[in-house]
Amino acid sequence: MSKPSPEVYEEGRGMDAHNTVMREIRGLKEKQYDPHEPTRVWVDEDNTPDGVYESLTIILNTGGCRWARAGGCTMCGYVAESVEGGTVEHEALMDQIDACLDHEAANTDEPADLIKIYTSGSFLDEREVPAETRRAIAETFGDRERIVLESLPDFVDHEKLTDFTDHGLAVDVAVGLETATDRIRHDCVNKYFDFADFEDACATAKEAGAGVKAYLLMKPPFLSEREARDDMIESIRRCAAVEGCHTVSMNPCNVQQYTMVNELFREGGYRPPWLWSVADVLERTADVEAIVVSDPVGHGSDRGAHNCGECDDRVQKAIKDFDLRQDESVFEQVSCDCERTWDLVIHEETSYAMPLAR
Amino acid sequence: MTEYFEVLNRDGAARLGELRLDEPLVTPALLDDVLVDGGSLWTADQPLPEGDTDQLTVLPHRSLPAGTREEVREAFATEAVDAEFPAAAVVSSRSPDDLGVDAYILSDASGFVGHGEGLKYAVIRVKQALPADTALVLSGVATPLNVATLVYAGVDGVDAKLAKVKGSQGKYLTSDDEAFLEDLDELPCACSACQQPREEFTREDCIDHNVAALRAELRRVRERIRAGRLRDYIEGQARHDNWLTAAFREFDSQYSYLETRTPVVRNNELAAATSDSLRRVEIQRFADRVTSRYRNRFDNPLVLVPCSARKPYSDSQSHGQFHDVIAYRGHTVSMTSPIGVVPQELELTYPAQHYDSVVTGRWSEDEKEFVAAVLRRYLDRNDYSRVIAHVPEHGYRDIVERVDADSALDFEYTVEDHPTDTDSLGNLAAALEGELKYGKRERQHNTVKAIADYQFGPDAGDALFGDIEIRTTGRYPKLQVRDGDGEQLATMVPQYGMLAMTLNGADRWVDSHAPTKVVEIDGFVPHGSVLAPGVVDASESIRPGDEVVIRGPKAFGIGRAEMSGPEMAESTRGVASTVRHVRER
Repeated sequence: MSKPSPEVYEEGRGMDAHNTVMREIRGLKEKQYDPHEPTRVWVDEDNTPDGVYESLTIILNTGGCRWARAGGCTMCGYVAESVEGGTVEHEALMDQIDACLDHEAANTDEPADLIKIYTSGSFLDEREVPAETRRAIAETFGDRERIVLESLPDFVDHEKLTDFTDHGLAVDVAVGLETATDRIRHDCVNKYFDFADFEDACATAKEAGAGVKAYLLMKPPFLSEREARDDMIESIRRCAAVEGCHTVSMNPCNVQQYTMVNELFREGGYRPPWLWSVADVLERTADVEAIVVSDPVGHGSDRGAHNCGECDDRVQKAIKDFDLRQDESVFEQVSCDCERTWDLVIHEETSYAMPLAR
Repeated sequence: MTEYFEVLNRDGAARLGELRLDEPLVTPALLDDVLVDGGSLWTADQPLPEGDTDQLTVLPHRSLPAGTREEVREAFATEAVDAEFPAAAVVSSRSPDDLGVDAYILSDASGFVGHGEGLKYAVIRVKQALPADTALVLSGVATPLNVATLVYAGVDGVDAKLAKVKGSQGKYLTSDDEAFLEDLDELPCACSACQQPREEFTREDCIDHNVAALRAELRRVRERIRAGRLRDYIEGQARHDNWLTAAFREFDSQYSYLETRTPVVRNNELAAATSDSLRRVEIQRFADRVTSRYRNRFDNPLVLVPCSARKPYSDSQSHGQFHDVIAYRGHTVSMTSPIGVVPQELELTYPAQHYDSVVTGRWSEDEKEFVAAVLRRYLDRNDYSRVIAHVPEHGYRDIVERVDADSALDFEYTVEDHPTDTDSLGNLAAALEGELKYGKRERQHNTVKAIADYQFGPDAGDALFGDIEIRTTGRYPKLQVRDGDGEQLATMVPQYGMLAMTLNGADRWVDSHAPTKVVEIDGFVPHGSVLAPGVVDASESIRPGDEVVIRGPKAFGIGRAEMSGPEMAESTRGVASTVRHVRER
């Protein structure tokens, strides 16, 4: 992990504070999870450099992100969903994979071409997923077309990727970059690597014949709507310019239990982004040399990206449509009275006057 | 140090101020046109803005929103920078640091505006931590409905951000409501945006209207502050939203915050029309001083009489009749809601001749209990040979009987039906039969001593005027107090029933045992006024309107405080005190 820059962080004050608080907040949760069951699994459709595929998405329960156990990201509640104690054994992980295959068999006619594995941490971290398990999973899905593996940039190594490419799989490393702006990633998200580490991971992936899918977070805490939107536009452009990064998934922050964002939200100091902001970013970056998609979780609810309540489903539909077709004209098809409000929020909201509208 | 903001006028915690830009702006006001954001440090390193004297520059900030925990607030606290231009800093109400700027914007206003208790704690915390002469700004929260209460709490600047956003959402704002445009049959407003048929009124118009309504409300609030009558307005207007009523009641429960800032005298009417009037500082302070500072110096029986609508009471017809019968044989004390009991010597003293209450003869239990408690404490402190209760039914009698029940004194009741009917007045005359009269000299001496007690503290009347042969000259109520040599010590001010001291009076005051209120100043001779930067120290007990001794290496004077003692000590701008007389030394 890279060290926080000295100016604001004498003795890592910002990081220490965030971590202390996040540990405390997470300590509030009591629920425990079965290490033999995946956190979640579902079937969907996804846009990849080779076209739109049916996909099987797996959230593997690996004991959770090590960074999150130190405190972790201000918006991330997934660690609250991991097993107690930290490590999940090889056999248990393989039980989870079996459960996912059962789910797939029950919900699709034929096996999905695209497999996406997330761990709410790093699949490529061998303390989360041992090499043995990684190879067994590569073997299991070796007959598919494409696989997406979530990881922090630090764990992206040539050999770990060739475990998969050797099976003829197209491999994408999903990196939770959150933003290209180091300062925002450090101070608002509390995630400690730099954009340079992401660039290195992209280079490593490219060498190994893999690609990188960057995950961005729209509107971490402490930013106004406009600051959040502008940060995403710049971040998408910077990511798309990195060789090896062929897809950017820009996702609005949602309010998850046992997070700092949740505390701000409940006290009136946070509002998830507007769906109009998501649409605006996608529209303004439609020209970049990468696939740009977004999947607003919990759209239309107070805790997810939302507009006025009248138009949320329509705008969400346009976003999903854009994800598959990359055609910005989809946004011309939707309009609502609340665009005026959103426009005012963009112009009037500052971080000391927010949220201006719920 | 505050350089570009100055408080000109105070009405409790509310202030009329001036943002001293190229084009000065009178506050409380909308700051949209003058606030210029220096940028958020969350997103990038920001250069120190160049600033300009035609704007209020918001220094680069790390805004900490509502709900940010202490560890994070501390780690990301904004550091002070030296700004040579009008500057505002963003701070959290949870950890407000004095950063040496003219104005402070609270980053977590959206979290406490809407909650009475939250607003109270936020404002009080901030006011305790920041110099009194800095401006307090809330951004993105003001509406025509809440802005009067925000200002009443002590806010100096707001903006129209929220009013605009609500307009865009079709929410029509007025000082009494927030309505959905679709639900309105008529537009209840005279602003230019509203001068069109209801059907043609758009959300764009609604934005214009909301901003106009907010501006108009701020004009009203500023006028109220100038008149010293914001509280009267709040007691009515805040009723339109329960959280606002909760908010001003919460502040009433923070007596010392409001008391420190509330003037001891005013020249205008005080409307006591709601149950909340009882909790006003002016009312509570009067009751407190009458029962803890004032002392009766007459040997005559106590005659309790009902108050009159006309003020001062002695100008009323009923009191004229009482007076004719009592004929200086009894000490007349009026019973009244909401201020309690008013001894005859204090009938001019603020707010005794200034309040106007709603008289229907219906007393609430709160009123009865309050007046009974004051009367009880009054009788504990003052000895009387007899108590004659010349009071009618309908509240008065009920209250007196409650006090009578736990008093060792035997109360004599003299009213049959109405206090001014022949039988009642006859009873009163009979009750006073044989009592001795007090003379004019005793009456006038006791009056100025009573006012001194009330104004300066327990036994101040005797400490100032007791051990010398004083003389009173002039015609009541414009009495002058003189010493044995004929030198004038003080004048009684008829408009608000307090004493204005002369230099000789100030000498006596300083030498006496009476508690003095002193403004210590630097080595200069003030003329007309003392400005805050010239104040070295000031008595904690000084309230706006208080008589103060002004003392420094080069001067000794007497004047009237324009701000509280703590505010004088903290401020670097503004008039601390006016100077009535000064002597070089």
